[in-house]
Amino acid sequence: MLVFDHTSFSYTDANGTHAATPAPKEAGRWAPRRADGAPDVEDCEGAGVSDVDACEGAGAPDVGGCEGAGATLCDINLSLAPGERVVLLGANGSGKSTLARLANGLLLPEAGSVSVDGLHTSLRSAIREVRTRVGVVAQDPDNQIVSATVLDDVAFGVENLGLPRQQIAQRCALVLEAVGLAGFEERDPNTLSGGEKQRLVIAGILAMEPTYLVFDEPTSMLDPEGRAEVEALIDSLHRGGHGILHITHDLTYAQTADRVAVLDEGHLVYDGPPAALFGDEAALERWGLVCAKDAPGDTPARPESRERGRGPGRGPGRGPGAEPGRQSAQTRESESEPGRRSAQTREPGAEPGREPEQSAFELHLSRISYTYAAQTAYAHEALRDVSLIVEPGSYTFLSGRSGSGKSTLLRIAAGLLAPSSGEACFCSGGSGSARMPDRPLPKTLPITPGTVGLVFQNPESQLFAATVAQDILFGPQNLGLLQKSGVPTAQGSRPRARGRERERERERGTGIFAQGSRPRARGRDDDEGPALVHYALEAVGLEPKRFAERSPFSLSGGEMRRVALACVLAMRPHFLLLDEPTAGLDARGRAFVHALLARLLAEGTGIVVVSHDRDEFAPRAHRHLMLREGVLWPS
Amino acid sequence: MALVVPFGQYVPGTSPVHTLDARMKLLLVAAYVAALFLVDGWLGLLFATALLIVGYRVAHIPLRLGARGLKPIVIILAFTFLANTLTFSADLAGSIGAETATDFIPLIGSFGIRPLGALRGLYFALRIVLLVSVTSLLTFSTSIVALSDALTQLMRPLAALRVPTEDIAMMFTIALRFIPLTAEEAEKIMVAQSARGAVFDAGGPLRRARAWVPVLVPLFVSLFRRADALAGAMETRCYRGRGRTHLRVSTLSGAHLAAGLIGALVLVAGGIVL
Repeated sequence: MLVFDHTSFSYTDANGTHAATPAPKEAGRWAPRRADGAPDVEDCEGAGVSDVDACEGAGAPDVGGCEGAGATLCDINLSLAPGERVVLLGANGSGKSTLARLANGLLLPEAGSVSVDGLHTSLRSAIREVRTRVGVVAQDPDNQIVSATVLDDVAFGVENLGLPRQQIAQRCALVLEAVGLAGFEERDPNTLSGGEKQRLVIAGILAMEPTYLVFDEPTSMLDPEGRAEVEALIDSLHRGGHGILHITHDLTYAQTADRVAVLDEGHLVYDGPPAALFGDEAALERWGLVCAKDAPGDTPARPESRERGRGPGRGPGRGPGAEPGRQSAQTRESESEPGRRSAQTREPGAEPGREPEQSAFELHLSRISYTYAAQTAYAHEALRDVSLIVEPGSYTFLSGRSGSGKSTLLRIAAGLLAPSSGEACFCSGGSGSARMPDRPLPKTLPITPGTVGLVFQNPESQLFAATVAQDILFGPQNLGLLQKSGVPTAQGSRPRARGRERERERERGTGIFAQGSRPRARGRDDDEGPALVHYALEAVGLEPKRFAERSPFSLSGGEMRRVALACVLAMRPHFLLLDEPTAGLDARGRAFVHALLARLLAEGTGIVVVSHDRDEFAPRAHRHLMLREGVLWPS
Repeated sequence: MALVVPFGQYVPGTSPVHTLDARMKLLLVAAYVAALFLVDGWLGLLFATALLIVGYRVAHIPLRLGARGLKPIVIILAFTFLANTLTFSADLAGSIGAETATDFIPLIGSFGIRPLGALRGLYFALRIVLLVSVTSLLTFSTSIVALSDALTQLMRPLAALRVPTEDIAMMFTIALRFIPLTAEEAEKIMVAQSARGAVFDAGGPLRRARAWVPVLVPLFVSLFRRADALAGAMETRCYRGRGRTHLRVSTLSGAHLAAGLIGALVLVAGGIVL
C-alpha cells in the first residue's frame, strides 16, 4: 500500500518562514500560494484573480485545520493498493503535483507521513527502496530523459541501482518491448515523437520494477495520437497489476477509474467511486472541475457574427468570401458608418469609448510554401501551397498533428518568417473576384509586428521585466505606440520608424490603423502608458492596482498566463494567433480564455487558434481547418 | 518544432575511420598533432598532408567539407603568411632567420617583401591548416556522443585522484542532450519577442546587447525550471553520482588498441625523423 497518512506540506522560503501568504481579503478566498514563485502552471492557483468572466465565486472556501499556515497540502489521507487505479482530480494549484512529489520522497511531509509498504519516505535509509517501489512520471518528457540514446536512458535508473550488466540488459530489452519501443535502442531521444518520448520515460521507470506508478498529467504535452499511445500503455500496466495514481484534468478519463480523489486548495475533498462524484454537478463546479458558465455555444460572439453574414459557423469548406456580395456590402458599411457598427457590436461591459476594430483589412495568406534548410541534406518542407484568409471578427480553428507545419504557419502569418514562396499580407476588401466593381483595387500592406498578435504555447515563458507593467509596455514601446511614457524605452530605430508610419497613416486616415483603435485620448499622452497597462490588465481579469507593480515571477502560473496575454493585447492587435492557449489550464482557466476570445471577437479581432484539442475549439470556432503534413484541408 | 536541428558536424559512415574506437582516434589525433610540431622541413609537412588526404579519402568525407572548417581561421592564416612575408626593415630581415640580407625586395623605403619569409609563412600556415583539418576529420567521423564517452573513459583513471568523474560524465551527457532543446527554446522566445516588436539587429553594440535581455531572462528562468524537473526525474531514478554500474562496458578490442598504439608510435617517430 502507498499511504498518505494525515499528510501536510507547505513550501517555505529560504529563511524557513512561510512565504506562502493567504490571498488578500478582497478575493474572499483562502488560497495557498507557491512560495518559490516558480512559474509552474500545475502548482498555481486561480485565486486572487478577479474571475469576472468566468465562474466568479465558484470555489467556496473550505478552510480546514491548516488555516493560516499557508499549506499546499493539508491533512491528506489517501491510499493506493497494488492493482488499483485511482484518478486524482483538482484545479490548478490545488496541490496535485506536490502530492506526486511526496509519493516517492522527492518532498517530505511537514506533518503526518507518507509510506510505501510500511516504509516511510522520511526515513533516509529507505529512500532508495521507496523510489524503486514508487515511480513518478511527470508532465514534460523532455525534462525527464537524461541520456543521448534510448537504450542508455532506459538503463539509467537500473545503472544507478548498481545491478550487474547482464541484468540491466535483460530488463532494458523487456521494458522496451513492453512500451513498444523495441528497435529504437540507438535512436536519439530528440528525434522521437512526444508520445514515444513519454513512453521512453515510462520504460526507464518500469526498468526499476516499481509496484506503484504515479502519473502527473503524463499526456498534457502530447498530441491526440501520443495521448492515446500513453493512455493505452497505462491501461496495460494497470492490467499487469501495478497500482496507479493518475493525475489529470480529463474528466472523461476519470470515469473509468476504480476510485476518484479530488483535491481542492490543498484539501482532499472527495475519495470514492467515480459515479457518485460525477452525479454531483454542484460539487464538480465548487471544486473547479467544471465551469458551467462556459457551456459551448454560450459565447456571445457567435450569434452576432452570424448576423454579420461572414459565413461563420457553417463548418469547414465555407471560407470567407463564399458570399462575396454580402460580405463586401458589409465591409463598406463598416467603413462608412463605424459609429453605428460599433454600437451594434460592442458587448455590454466592454470598455467604453473603445472603437471596435472594424478594420477593412483582412489577413491574406496566398499560396504559401515554406522549406526549412532548403538545399541541404536536412531540407524539410513544412508548408505546401497554403492559402488562408482571416477576416476581422472571424474565429478560425486550425488543428493538426505535431510537426504538421502549424507553428511555421503561425510565424508566417505573424510576419515573422518570410515564406519560401507565396505572399502574406493585409489586404483590403474581398478576395479576387469578390471585389465590387466600384471599389478601388485592393490595397495591400505588409504584416508588421503588433498588428498581428502571436501567443505561443505557455506564453508565460516570455515574461522578463521587473514589473508586470514594464512587461506589458514592452511591445507598445518597441512599436512606438507610446508618445511620452514615463518608462524609459529601449527601442531600436526601426520600430520607431514603424511607429511613425502608423502615426502618419492614422493622420491620413488611411491604412489599417486609420480608425483609431487604441484607447488614446489626445492631450493625455503622459497617461498613455499607465492607461494601456490598466486596459490590458482589465482585459485579462486582473486588478490593475494589485498587479501592475508586482514582479511577473512572483505570480502563480495562472496569473502569469493572463499577464502574458495582456502583453500581447496591449499592442491592440487586429488579429490574434494563439497556439494551444488552454494547455495546462483547469476548467476555470479554460473558461477564462474562451470568454476573453469571445470578447475580442465581438470587438472585431480576427482570431486563429491552433490546438490539438478538437472537442474544445471546434464547437466554438466559425470554421475548422486541418493542417496535414504542410497541406491545409479543406483547401 | 518537429524539425531536428543538426548538431555537431558528424557525417555518419561505416569506414574504418568511423568505426575505429573513439579513444584511439583521440590518441591518433594527439600523435598527429605532436608529429606536426616535431617535423622540421617541407618533406615532413608534405608527408603529413598526404597522410591527412588519405584519411579523408578512407573516411569518404569530401575535402571541401574540411575546407569549409577553415573559414573561421582565414584571418589567422593570412596574418601568419603576411607577418612572415612583409618586413619594415631590410636589416631586421636578415637577423630573423638564417637568410641573408639579400633576401629582401624593397617596396617603399625599408618596407618590403622577403621571398624566403613568404616561404616560411606558407609553411606555418599549412601547419595550422593541417592542425584544424585533422580535428575536423575527428568530428566528421565521430558522433558527439561517442566523443564524449571517449573523453569520460580516458578521464576515468582520474577518479583515483578524487576527481568526480561520474558527475563530470553526467554533465557531458546532459549538456549534449539539452543543447538542442535550449537552442530551440531560445529561437521560440526570440520569435515571441519579435512578435512584440523586439529588434535584435539594429542600433549600436549596446542597444544590440540590451535587446537580448528579453530573450536571456526567460531562457534562464526556463533552464532553471528544466533543471529542477530534471533533478526530480533523476532522483526518482535513484541517481546519486556514485555506485553506478554500466550497461555498456567499454571493451577495447586488441585490433583497435594495436592500430591506435602503432599508429601513434609511427606518427611520432616519423615526426622526429623528418
